[in-house]
Amino acid sequence: MDGNAFPSFLPALPLALGPAALFGSLLLAGLLGGEIAQRLKLPRLLGWLLAGLLLGQGAAGLFPGNSLEPLLGETRLFFDVAVGLILFDLGRRLDLSWFRRDRSLLAAALLESALAFAAMAGVLCLFGFSRLEAGMAAAIGLSSAPAVVWLVARESRAEGQVTERCLALVAINTLMACLVATSLLSAAHAEYQAPWRTALLHPLYLLLGSVLLGAVAARLVLWGARLLGKGPQARLSQFVLLAAFLLAAVGLAHALKLSVFLALLVFGLACRQWDRRYVLLSVDLGGAAQLFYIVLFVLTGASLPLAAVTAAGLPALAYVAARSLGKTAGVMLTAPFSHIRWQQHGWLSLALLPMSGVAIALVHDLTSLFPQFGERLGNLVLAAVVLLELLGPLAVHTAFKRAGETRQEGAEHA
Amino acid sequence: MLDFKSVSPYTLGVELELQVINPHTQDLTRGGPDLLQALEKVAHPGEVKPEITESMIELNSSPHARHDSLLEELHAMRDAVVHTAGSLNLAIAGGGTHPFHRWHDRRIFPTERFLQLSSLYGYLAKQFTVFGQHIHVACESGDDAVYLTHQLSRYIPHFIALSAASPFSQGEDTSFETSRLHAVSAFPLSGHMPPVSSWAEFEDFFAKMLGYGIIGGIKDFYWDIRPKPEFGTVEVRICDTPLEVDTAAALAAFVQALAFWLLVERPYPADRVEEGLYLVYGYNRFQATRFGFDATLVDPRSQQSLVLRDDLLATLERLQPFADVLGSQAPLARLAAMTRGEGNGSTWLRACHEESGALEDVVRRSAQRWAGGA
Repeated sequence: MDGNAFPSFLPALPLALGPAALFGSLLLAGLLGGEIAQRLKLPRLLGWLLAGLLLGQGAAGLFPGNSLEPLLGETRLFFDVAVGLILFDLGRRLDLSWFRRDRSLLAAALLESALAFAAMAGVLCLFGFSRLEAGMAAAIGLSSAPAVVWLVARESRAEGQVTERCLALVAINTLMACLVATSLLSAAHAEYQAPWRTALLHPLYLLLGSVLLGAVAARLVLWGARLLGKGPQARLSQFVLLAAFLLAAVGLAHALKLSVFLALLVFGLACRQWDRRYVLLSVDLGGAAQLFYIVLFVLTGASLPLAAVTAAGLPALAYVAARSLGKTAGVMLTAPFSHIRWQQHGWLSLALLPMSGVAIALVHDLTSLFPQFGERLGNLVLAAVVLLELLGPLAVHTAFKRAGETRQEGAEHA
Repeated sequence: MLDFKSVSPYTLGVELELQVINPHTQDLTRGGPDLLQALEKVAHPGEVKPEITESMIELNSSPHARHDSLLEELHAMRDAVVHTAGSLNLAIAGGGTHPFHRWHDRRIFPTERFLQLSSLYGYLAKQFTVFGQHIHVACESGDDAVYLTHQLSRYIPHFIALSAASPFSQGEDTSFETSRLHAVSAFPLSGHMPPVSSWAEFEDFFAKMLGYGIIGGIKDFYWDIRPKPEFGTVEVRICDTPLEVDTAAALAAFVQALAFWLLVERPYPADRVEEGLYLVYGYNRFQATRFGFDATLVDPRSQQSLVLRDDLLATLERLQPFADVLGSQAPLARLAAMTRGEGNGSTWLRACHEESGALEDVVRRSAQRWAGGA
């Protein structure tokens, strides 16, 4: 039928779905995947991911020659809000004084990042990537999957040393990934003949701006929370206040072209360190945040470029192996100096292996800055993410379960 | 036959059940197994053991003749446990209940005995995540132990008022000074020892219960006070774990001084159980759990009503000469100051809550106090 014959009050075809309908459809897809996964006794988020993956592959089939790029562009905000909330919660859980009370944990945090970085960068240099490319890919690979770890821990109600240490190490290595990747921007700018002022000031702006944004948000939200008071009657107001600040912080970081991840992680960390009297620490983001988490994983699944695995080939596998080796070595080397058993260190290493949407987003950002650079690097990192993201939920779940930290079977409804 | 081990009389020992807390949420957490495993590598006096759920640990002191050496050991144990817990990012607190944990979140510590208790008692097992102090005092014979168990029962309300540190339960102020004891009362073998008047009668009773298949040993009686023949002690089990070790040691000194007085002076008949002793028991116990120092008690001997606070101060006064011999003046003075106005653990916890409004903050400060910081 000829489109021109349509009366003007009817919508034009093809329909533009708009963010609300898109969000709803992604949620429904996630719900379906999650329910199936749960019935198969698998982590729900594996179901969310696979639902997204099917959706992505299906969409690619329905619209040949049309990638999901526009969809991802439109939904980047959902993505950032979800990852932002998770990083905030991870930061909020991390008591930095723990590293003082247990030096072996500090050593593990530094070693696993350092060894993994060296291993990944070294291997990529061997495969003929430039030092800058290798360094950038290694920086992005530092981050274990914060969302996967956080959600598996919550869903399985995991409690114990492997879970707590894993959450702490993920917060630190995600922070490292953001810091190192941002610092390497200088070198990248220099490589692509940007003026020296850009090379110097851009990373500085990103680092200082994001940290400042997080810190100021924490100060303000704590001040507001104190005005609202504590106790059961203030719970809802506290939740609204926190949600408002979190959304505003994500939005502002976007508008100011800062790093959402770094800003929100610092926001959480600052809340933990400054909120000594538990004004806000006990406010749970709860069900509202859960909606964003589902959408995050469906989107991540939809944006996993399966083709990248074959395209990237051997270097990607070597990158994954080097990363796994570095992280495992870093954690295991500190085992003799720690109060927990070496088996627990083993499960901890396993739980640190997944890579996640954070890596996808970092690659995406890098590509938009340096298209030619992102092209070479993008496939490699994304191929690694495809492998490690799909295995991630199972690896983390297995680690927590075998460490005896998940809630016992059948106890949920006791 | 149930042999009563003979040990040096009036020797003291305490067991303290403690809360294992996640300092992020200030809720209980299953840190018990990790903490116990870490403590295996740390030199410390006494023993640290698992308890029924994984959010609990229990400190056992060694036997002590005097209060000051007991206190010293408890300090050393506390420091080792708090320091090791810190390296695992766990906090430790006293108090009889956790103010807001949800009992169904708890997990049974997977030892054979605890799993068996859990399958027998169902949800009561997880609800038993409450924290008490047990005080052992040694006596020379089983007959002495039976006598002492009966005579100490008159002081159950006093122990309750002094140790009470569990005003909050499941997120609410219960209006009781101790809410912990309600978790204990639910068990079929709780309460008090039957009115036997000699060790021979006790053995007879024990053999019957064993024969019925109701019990497997003394440990199956959850009485407020029970003889513990394998240790040669009487065990007072009524107290909440106080908020700091100093009060715990002082309570032990109080029990020791009472035992010393009762066994040396024998102020009451030993050949029969006074009838009134257990007629008023439940009422007096309730009064103390609900009103603490302000409870109104009925004295079984004079049949007069009296205020717990006055009777407690009079008792502490009466014990002075015995405290002088035992070297316990300081701990008894501490208890007298609490009775006169400083209040017990529940007073402090309620004041904290009044001040900060969040139970999370109450737990945080309680853990700080346990560590010796507040």
